[in-house]
Amino acid sequence: MAGLAVQIRTLLLLMFLTSTSFTLTLTNANVEGDALYALRRALKDPGNVLQSWDPTLVNPCTWFHVTCDSQNRVTRLDLGNAKLSGKLVPELGRLERLQYLELYRNNLVGSIPKELEGLKSLVSLDFHHNNLTGSIPSSLFSLSNLRFLRLNRNRLTGRIPRQLTRLRNLKIIDVSNNDLCGTIPTSGSFYKFSEKSFENNPRLKGPELMGSVSYELGCD
Amino acid sequence: MAFCNRTLLDCLDSLSFNNLFLSFLFFTTLLLASSNSSSYALSSDQADALLKWKATDLNNQSQSVLHSWKVVDDSNSTNSSMRSDPCISWIGIACNQRGSITQINLTSMGLQGMIKNFPFPSFPSLTHLNLFNNSLLGTVPSNIANLSVVNYLDLSVNQFSGSIPSEICLLTTLNILYLDHNHFSGSIPYNMGRLKDLTTLTMHSNNLSGFIPESLGNLTSLRQLSLYENNLIGSIPTSIGKLRDLYFLYLYQNQLSGPIPKEIGNMTQLRFLTLENNNLIGSIPQEIGNLKSLTDLYFLFNNLSGSIPVSLGNLKNLTILLLSKNQLSGRIPIEIGNLTSLSDLELTLNQLSGCIPSTLGNLKKLTNLNLLENQFSGSIPEEIGNLTNLANLQLGDNHFSGSLPQEIGNLTNLANLQLGDNHFSGSLPQEIGNLTNLANLQLGDNHFSGSLPQGLCTSRSLENFTAFNNHLTSLIPKGFKNCTSLFRVRLENNQLVANLSEDFGVYEKLNYIDLSNNQLYGELSSTWGQCQNLQTLHLAGNNITGKIPPELGMLIQLHVLDLSSNYLVGEIPIKEFGELTFLLNLNLSGNQLSSNLPLEVGRLYSLTYFDLSTTSLSGQIPKEIGNCSSLSYLDLSNNNLNGSIPYQIGNLVHLQLLLDLSQNRLSGEILSQFKSLVNLEKLNISHNQLSGTISSAFDEMASLTSIDISYNEFEGPISNNRVFQNATTIEALRNNKALCGNASGL
Repeated sequence: MAGLAVQIRTLLLLMFLTSTSFTLTLTNANVEGDALYALRRALKDPGNVLQSWDPTLVNPCTWFHVTCDSQNRVTRLDLGNAKLSGKLVPELGRLERLQYLELYRNNLVGSIPKELEGLKSLVSLDFHHNNLTGSIPSSLFSLSNLRFLRLNRNRLTGRIPRQLTRLRNLKIIDVSNNDLCGTIPTSGSFYKFSEKSFENNPRLKGPELMGSVSYELGCD
Repeated sequence: MAFCNRTLLDCLDSLSFNNLFLSFLFFTTLLLASSNSSSYALSSDQADALLKWKATDLNNQSQSVLHSWKVVDDSNSTNSSMRSDPCISWIGIACNQRGSITQINLTSMGLQGMIKNFPFPSFPSLTHLNLFNNSLLGTVPSNIANLSVVNYLDLSVNQFSGSIPSEICLLTTLNILYLDHNHFSGSIPYNMGRLKDLTTLTMHSNNLSGFIPESLGNLTSLRQLSLYENNLIGSIPTSIGKLRDLYFLYLYQNQLSGPIPKEIGNMTQLRFLTLENNNLIGSIPQEIGNLKSLTDLYFLFNNLSGSIPVSLGNLKNLTILLLSKNQLSGRIPIEIGNLTSLSDLELTLNQLSGCIPSTLGNLKKLTNLNLLENQFSGSIPEEIGNLTNLANLQLGDNHFSGSLPQEIGNLTNLANLQLGDNHFSGSLPQEIGNLTNLANLQLGDNHFSGSLPQGLCTSRSLENFTAFNNHLTSLIPKGFKNCTSLFRVRLENNQLVANLSEDFGVYEKLNYIDLSNNQLYGELSSTWGQCQNLQTLHLAGNNITGKIPPELGMLIQLHVLDLSSNYLVGEIPIKEFGELTFLLNLNLSGNQLSSNLPLEVGRLYSLTYFDLSTTSLSGQIPKEIGNCSSLSYLDLSNNNLNGSIPYQIGNLVHLQLLLDLSQNRLSGEILSQFKSLVNLEKLNISHNQLSGTISSAFDEMASLTSIDISYNEFEGPISNNRVFQNATTIEALRNNKALCGNASGL
């Protein structure tokens, strides 16, 4: 191992570099910018659509594909069809004023983070046509403003959480073309959805039968 | 030796003197012989042990690295079967005079394999074992304790895993122990304190968990203790204060909790105290002021509260003080002015308040001052001008007020001046023009008034200049026109009166410019087309006249173009814009363009937001609009468009926010145009001359939340779409020919 003097110098440099990078992130420690930047770091972006996402700016409101309201809070994220791959990050749940989360037609993998329950203002969640796995988090039921839930054409498994029937404002749900199992809820806001929203899930057994024995056996 | 035929006793008697010498010779020879053979035996035993380890526990590649480790020295010609002596010909091996191996030095040899079967018991004389920077893995066995005289042990930068064996605490002769940069897990052995002669102990960059053992306080010879980048929990033990000779204490990036023990104040030799990135709570103990040798103090990213202790001012040797991202409150003590060695001061993201003490001006060596995101108030003291080494001054996001002192012009090394989001007022001092190194000037969200300083950007170093949301009234021509270094400019929402043609030049590096909502006049000259790096151009809400130069089509990086609410006339050079493959937003609304919408509009396939409302657009909507497949928002309202709505509009399946064709002269029927617009939420086709029935036109628009079809000539039953059941429907349907159906007001 190098002599103490060299070691001190190396550590000194390391200290300073660490502190400089802290300075850069702290210069504009905007919670929403940090959350989006966490997403950027988790994604591969061959099309360079996230090139303008500069974390040293005071907020993310001048970043392309990001829209803010008059208080510089993020309201839209428009990254559909952007050749992105990689995983979603739980930090996305910090965008409390986000209304539209549009990530459709990409190559996203991994599961839908349960932390998305933090998106209290969300109107549209569109992840259709990706490679997402795991189950639909039941925590999404707390997104009381949700109108559009599009998760079709992924590889989602598990049951359709019953709690989603509590989403009063839900106008459109599409979970077709996945690998969901169990039965299709029919209560609450789900009464208005047709079979088309659930088709092409080979292990989905059809609408739930109220008052009968549960069909949940064998569903993971 | 004479024969002895007497009794044994007589023989022994006669042996006494004559043979004493011979006996002495005999025994000496025996001794020498035995030591020769045992030295030979020693190193040959050790050699065999090492060869066995090499053969069984290291991989093929390592065999060739250690090829000098062999049984027979065949480097000479044939017939030579001399046994290879490790002390002479083996790489990395050193021995003592008795031929026992004392040093094994195998640094940076790319060795791959394990040491859990390493023959530690074979090396009772080993003082140095150095395996730094290899790819050795697996566990460290407990029989490492057999190295009874080792004083230098370096296992760092490998892939060792499992727990650090507690037997390591038996190596009481250790001076230097490097275990860093491995995958060690589990706790630090609690008896570590037995290694009383340790001067250096590094365990950083591992996966260690559990507590920092109390017994570490017994390592009274310790100079350096590195435990950073692990998962250590619990409090910093108070016994740490017993390490009176410690120079370097690195505990950062763990999950340590509890308070900073005041006993740390006893470590009077301490140079570096780095506790950042933990969960430490409580106040900074005032005993920290006793650390007279301290040069670096990093407490950032913790949960510390209370005030900055006054005693901190005693740290005459302190060069870097980082307390950011905590919950510190209270004022900056005036004693901070005593830290005459200080070069970096960062207090960002706390709840500090009060004014900047004027004594801060005594910190002649200060290069970096960062107070962002606190609740500081008052004005900047003129003494700030004494900080002639200052390169970075960040005061943004506080409650600072008053005008900037002209002494700020003395800060000739200043590269970064960030004052945004405060209550500063008054004119910007002209002296700012003296700052020849200024690269970043951020003044946005304040109450600055008057004009920009004359000398701004004379040295062509200014790259980022933002002063949006102020009351600035004019640019200074020279300053701006030749400022070729500009990269990012935000001057929106001021009262800038300037001539767009004459006061602006060509900016080859310019990436982003927003001059919206000012009083710019003149024309948009074609030279803007030379700003090859430009991605965003916002000129909305000014008094710009003349035509839109087709040269804007040369801005191939352009993503956003907003020229809305001006007095532009003439053609929309959409043909030339066809090269703008990255264009996302195009807003030309509120101008007197009197143009057609050319069919080349179909080439803007990246366009998501398109607003041509109130531009006196005439002619028909070209069917090529259906090729703008990324469109999410389309507003063509309040124009003179005629003809029918092309069915190709139905190709715009990503239309979501708005489709507004209202206030035109569109005619014809609604047949299948909107059938595929399943994402569209808001549709306005009111105030046209559309006719026919609409019964199924909107049925499949499943996302529709708002619709207005009023002031047309529709008839017949209304759609089944639920949006028509709304209470606002009467306004949305009124003034048509003869609509009927199930909705309020019909």
